Amino acid sequence: MNSVPRSRRHRLLASAAIGTLALSMAACGGGGSGDGDTVVIGYTGPLSGGGAAYGENVQIGLEMAIDDLNADGVEVDGEPVTLELKSLDDKYAPSTAASNAQRLADQDKAPVVVSPNAGAIKAIQQINSGRSNFLISAYTSDPAIVQSDNPLTMMIPPNFESYAAEFTETAMKHGGKKLALLGTQSEYGQQWTESITDAWKDAGGKIGGDNSVDYATVSDFAGPVSKALAEKPDAIFVGGPSQPTALIMEEARKQGFEGSFLVMDQAKLDEMATVTKLDNLKNSVGVLPVSEYEDPGTADFLKKYADKAGDKKVPTSETALNYQGIAIIAKAMEVSGSVDDPEKIRAAISDALPEVDDKYKVNGFPEEITEQGHLLNPNLEATYLDDEGKYTKVPIEQVSDNK
Amino acid sequence: MTLFIQQLFNGLALGGVYCLAAIGLTLVFGVLRIPNLAHGALYMLGAYITYFFLTTLGVPYIAAIGIAALLLFVVGVGLERLVFHPLRNSPHTHHMIAAVGAMFFFQALAQAIWGADFRRMKTPITGGLDILGAEISAQRIVIIVTAVIVLALLAWFIKRSIHGQTIEAIEQDRIGASLVGISPSMVSMLTLGLSALLATVAAGLVAPINLLSPTMGDALNLKVFAIIILGGLGSLPGAIVGGFALALAETMTATYISSAVGEAVAFIVLVAVLAIKPTGLFTKAVQR
Repeated sequence: MNSVPRSRRHRLLASAAIGTLALSMAACGGGGSGDGDTVVIGYTGPLSGGGAAYGENVQIGLEMAIDDLNADGVEVDGEPVTLELKSLDDKYAPSTAASNAQRLADQDKAPVVVSPNAGAIKAIQQINSGRSNFLISAYTSDPAIVQSDNPLTMMIPPNFESYAAEFTETAMKHGGKKLALLGTQSEYGQQWTESITDAWKDAGGKIGGDNSVDYATVSDFAGPVSKALAEKPDAIFVGGPSQPTALIMEEARKQGFEGSFLVMDQAKLDEMATVTKLDNLKNSVGVLPVSEYEDPGTADFLKKYADKAGDKKVPTSETALNYQGIAIIAKAMEVSGSVDDPEKIRAAISDALPEVDDKYKVNGFPEEITEQGHLLNPNLEATYLDDEGKYTKVPIEQVSDNK
Repeated sequence: MTLFIQQLFNGLALGGVYCLAAIGLTLVFGVLRIPNLAHGALYMLGAYITYFFLTTLGVPYIAAIGIAALLLFVVGVGLERLVFHPLRNSPHTHHMIAAVGAMFFFQALAQAIWGADFRRMKTPITGGLDILGAEISAQRIVIIVTAVIVLALLAWFIKRSIHGQTIEAIEQDRIGASLVGISPSMVSMLTLGLSALLATVAAGLVAPINLLSPTMGDALNLKVFAIIILGGLGSLPGAIVGGFALALAETMTATYISSAVGEAVAFIVLVAVLAIKPTGLFTKAVQR
């Protein structure tokens, strides 16, 4: 090893010390300055790796909401408040998400942390009401996160279990009684497969073998599709991220399948239409695309989204529901008169919901919040994409979150 | 029977892709003696560059693959010069750490340029063939045929051409080869360049039936390592046989047993090989 001469060593030490000082000053600068209070909304989600596209969709919704809210002006207890988004990458790993959330709460004093993944939310729920207190704005349709009775959780999307019965009925009406399972092998995909299996059996249908494949690792979908079609099904359950789901449906149509598809809520029919022809997607039941909603703010939201993300990208519920979610939280801060007490904010959500401005109602706005913290939109709708390529709304009756 | 033929062709097409990717990896192992963990990332980069030429610039499909393959050859050479060459005298773990670093770098680069969204590459090759009742898409036939042609060309290059023979010479005896005037460092560059080129051809062929994403190489990376261990590290015939064997095993178990077993088959094979014949099917003389 070369040894560093003494004078050089001193200079190195000095520059390191100055560097550290400068860095720590920069870190402090982000906080208290500016007009009124700045409140950090924390976000931990997958911003790199396999889930990055999903994480970015959520992030765009949060950014749009914060921009709009700041432009409108948020006033808490007579003081103007500026919202600021701070995002950290967790690469979809629950343990990283939990340490990110801790950091956001401790260092940035974030009263709210957004997380879009059930596993991560469960990990964060271990630390959000104890030594540190913060509200989780939870974007997952897995009801397990409200079953745990965490006092500081707000679950945004509908419970996915609500869809199974209506999807089954619609698919049977347009296809037949025999179902093939071709969902993805993620944990969430398997929960869906189970839920659809139960509903299909309850309705007196027949189910073939479980042909689930891992959408992320399969290089060629032709094999799994041929296998599923060998059972001669009338309907196929598919679903994972939109784009690979679209490829599977295209392959099935190519191999001559004419029945109906049940599309898991992770895949969005309009987003799928960007990678395959709409013809391949017809005769499917799935969640209603954002652009088909007729809420008071939807049209403006779509316009703003196109400005921000480009008109080639399709807005999905990840973006729209998190946009609504932040608006609800900001209103709850105003109603509770607190920006730093997550318990007060959580308690105020119920009163805040009817007060939220119409422009933030874009994707089935909730009318109430359950005691466990689930936002409920009583008029939940899914959709059936018919042979003419038209979306018909299908009302969904919601099931209870308790098992 | 129809199902069997359908799956046979699906398996062969997949095997062609596996082969092209695995051969590059096994060559690199033979010459540089390192497991190039960034191989999947080169494959991904090859797919994106093909996509760029085909979709953004409108170059014809085959030409786009060709240009991308040449560009990736340069990237491969650069990778050898900038990453592996400076580490040639350091312990083996350093290569692996550097390769993982390169992998993350390429993934982040692709995400920065093309975004995290999935992308679809449209192919001009459409339609299909009806073989004994099975519907085989033309793209899969193209994959199989191209793989065979590229493999034949490669075999000719390594066995008959001067530059190719230097690769084999270095693989067999590094010191002996340098004594007769072959530059190991030139051959290392050539090999990494070649491996990136082959991975790009594989990626360009398979991209139209799959999707592009910055992490698309991850799954392939695992599979090709299983293949070259099955075939014998550094063995060319091993990579070819291993590639087709694994692809067919995957497709057939998924069809006749279950998809879950089909996904696991690569790893079952891997464990079995390591337990029974750790040197792989086509053992090469292992030298220090």
